[in-house]
Formats: sequence, C-alpha cells, structure tokens
Amino acid sequence: MSTLEAVQEILIKEFSLNPVQLVPNAELTSLGIDSLDVLEFMFKVEDRFGLKIKEDIPTTLVTLNDVVVYIDELVLKQSRDAPSQASHVS
Amino acid sequence: MTLHRVAVTGLGVVAPLGNSIEELFSNLVAGHSGIRVLPSSVSEGLRSKIGAPADFDGQVHFQVPRLRMLDRVSQLALIGAARAIADARISFEDERGARCGVFVGCGMGGAGATDSGYHTLYAGRSDRVEPYTVLAAMTNAPASWIGIEYALSGPNLTYSTACSSSAVALGEAARRIRSGDIDVAVAGGAEAPLTFGVLRAWEAMRTLATQDPKNPSASCRPFARSRSGLVLGEGAAFVILETWEHAIARNATVHAELTGYGLATDMAHITRPTAEGQANAMRAALVSAGVHADSIDYINAHGTATLQNDAVETAAIKEVFGARAYRLPVSSTKSMHGHLLGAAGALEFVICVEALRRGTVPPTMHLDSPDVSCDLDYVSEGARTGILLRAVMSNSFAFGGTNAVLIAATAS
Repeated sequence: MSTLEAVQEILIKEFSLNPVQLVPNAELTSLGIDSLDVLEFMFKVEDRFGLKIKEDIPTTLVTLNDVVVYIDELVLKQSRDAPSQASHVS
Repeated sequence: MTLHRVAVTGLGVVAPLGNSIEELFSNLVAGHSGIRVLPSSVSEGLRSKIGAPADFDGQVHFQVPRLRMLDRVSQLALIGAARAIADARISFEDERGARCGVFVGCGMGGAGATDSGYHTLYAGRSDRVEPYTVLAAMTNAPASWIGIEYALSGPNLTYSTACSSSAVALGEAARRIRSGDIDVAVAGGAEAPLTFGVLRAWEAMRTLATQDPKNPSASCRPFARSRSGLVLGEGAAFVILETWEHAIARNATVHAELTGYGLATDMAHITRPTAEGQANAMRAALVSAGVHADSIDYINAHGTATLQNDAVETAAIKEVFGARAYRLPVSSTKSMHGHLLGAAGALEFVICVEALRRGTVPPTMHLDSPDVSCDLDYVSEGARTGILLRAVMSNSFAFGGTNAVLIAATAS
C-alpha cells in the first residue's frame, strides 16, 4: 500500500470522508479538516506508520500530497536515525 | 414592562428508564428502577458498583469526526434538545435566531473527556492527549453545540450550580421569556458522570448509596430509615419555553405554564443543607408564581436519599406548607432514575409537567420503613392516578447551597 493509499484509508475511516474527494491535490481545509483535526490525524499517522512526530506540524501542509511527502520524509529520516524501530508501510 | 406568561411547549429526554417522556413516565408510574450494576470497566474496585445509565449509544446519532469532539454529555444534550424541539414542532428556520436562547445546566461538563485525558497523561505516561479534550470537557460545550446546531444567536448560557444547575437554567430562561428579552428558549440539563474517576470521587465523599446485595435496583431509598445515599445517573432533559403569545401564534400545544421560579442560598456549609434556605427557595417560587402554598398539589422532592437532605427537606416543606404539608403528595423519583446532578432539575421538571398533564403522581419507591424525621405523604404505596393537579413544585437543592424551585401549572 502506498503512503497516499494509507493516508486515504485514515481519512475515510476516521473522518468519514468520501474516497472520491481524496485526490492528491485536494486541500485539507476543503475536506473540512481544521487545525485540530490535523493534530488528531497525525496521531493516526503516527500509529499507522510507526512514527513519532515530536516537532510542530508544518503549516505548509496544504494538500494531501503535501502530507504524503511529509510522511515519506519523516519515515526516511526516522528509519535512518533508528533503523530497528521505524517500520514502513506494509 | 409587560410580563409574558411562559408556555412549556416541548419536552425531550434521554434518561434512565426512557428515551421518550411517555416511556419514562410509564416506567416511573410502574415503579420500575433504572438503577443497575454498572459494567466492570467503570465500576471495578468501587464499593457500590451501581448507577442509572441511559440507554444511549452516541454512535447511532453521530459520526466521526464529529463524534470525537462530543463528550457523552454533549451527545446526550444534543439528542435531548432535538427531542424537545421535535415535540414542540418548532422550526427555527422560521424564527429570528437572535430572539432564541439556549440555557443549559451541567455540573461536571465532559467528565469522560477529562477522565480519559488524565488517564492518558498519568497512567499511560503519554503526551498524546486528544486535541479536542478542552472543547469536549468544557462545561458550556453542551449549550454551545445546541446553539450551533440550530443557529440560535440569542443568549447561550450554561449554569453550573451542582445539583440545581438545570433547575436554574430553566428558571433563568423563564425570566428572559417573561421579560420579553427573547421569544423562545431551549432549556434543560445534561450530565454524564458514569466514569470511573467521577464515581470514585463521589464514593470518596461517602454520599453514594450502599449497594443492596439482593436487589441492586432498590439501593436508592429516599426518606427511608435505611437510606444510605444517592445513586448517580446520566442523561439529559430539555424543554421548549416560549412567550404565551408566541406559542399561540404558531398554534403550538402548550403542555403547561412555568409560573414560578425561586432561588435562595444556604450560607452554612459547602455540603450541609439548611431548612431555612430550602424553605426560602420554595417561598420565593410561590411569590414568583403569585400563588398561595395551598394551590400546590404535588411536590417532586429533591429527595436524594442522603441522611442530611431528606430530613432537612421534610422540615423545610413543613415550614412552608404548615399543616397542609401532611396532606400534600411528595415523592422522590430519584428512587428510580437516580440522581442526574446537573440534569436532575430539568428531568424532574419534565416529570412534573407530565404528572400535571396525566393527573398522576409518581411514587417514591423502596420506602418500606420511613425515618422518624421523614413523616410526610411520600406516595410510597405506588403511583396515584386520576388526581386533579392544578400546580406542581419541583425542588432542586445543591452542594454549594444554591436552592432552586420551579412551579408548573396546568395550561389554561
């Protein structure tokens, strides 16, 4: 499963969103995801990707694709820092 | 200033013993108790494992992600208010939002959200506190959600005076209707205290009833010699209040008139009630209704089944009603639906309105042997039907001392 598919799965399950809305360039705000929802969403991302998001979430995350890129970079960084702990998307 | 009569045009409940006023009242008349042993997830380790839960599953009514923002108390409030609005057959699309207000009593706010947040922090040693915790836990969340749901832009107020919270909410709403500040009020109370943390805190105060080993549902015994305390319950109860003219203009069914509201405060102690404070609240309500004590035909007592309250309330009723106190039916329906704290006043007012409409007085259950200091007519033999009730009184007294009394009269 790709990162995008995993993100889509979270949004469908946890935010009751319609799959057809979840195209890569869809903006989070247009999906009804506000700043608090982003925090909640990131908890789910942490669980799903085995990540630990310690720093503030960048305000530049506008579209789904921005989120996907952010997650991929974080997965890569954290697998480099602690290869035994990070787990990739299955 | 013209004073308006206050019409009660809608009733809605989510309560132990009923998801409609008809179901609730029928169960009360039958003497059924909604008190039961709670699941071990919330009662493990408690001395008394009992409570009065509402038959309510939030997931049936709300979807994620909204569900995550709504503590159970707000879920109960939204559905209780929706039922009152449906009963009143009022559409707020036809109303000016600024002329409509929301008045909610709530004692403990989003107790579940608070409990869960602390559990995450202290037991889970995790920093992953839900981002919605503050919004879910804040005491005014139930009122706010109702205002948002129906776009009611008039006053949106939450009253937190412990066990009298929603009696105060109804009374304060009625004052604004009476003065003509607003046309319509959605007024009520909600409480969801059946979490382990809240139950344990109440248990620590030694005010909860001892669980009856043979029949847990009979553990709450107001006015009885064997009474041992209150049983916590959850739920919501709402009414729609309107100026009489507004109700008539839209051809609404008027269930009753809210005629009286009295407040008086105990100054002695944070928990210890005084007959003087309770009696003063009853007198103030009679003055507000413009009626003599003789015109009250039923009192729904605060009747918590604590040692202190029931004896003091009995003395206060005697102080106000004199010799007539002994001929006046007084019952505590808490013996069946438990103590809904911030929702108790609204729930018991709704029960009073239904008593008026049906000419039926619900009983006090599990009162086999009265305390010597409790010597009134507590309707312990079972409900009384076919009684002409002109006006009824609902007592709500509170830790902190805010005593609130409401009077409802037959619509005529």
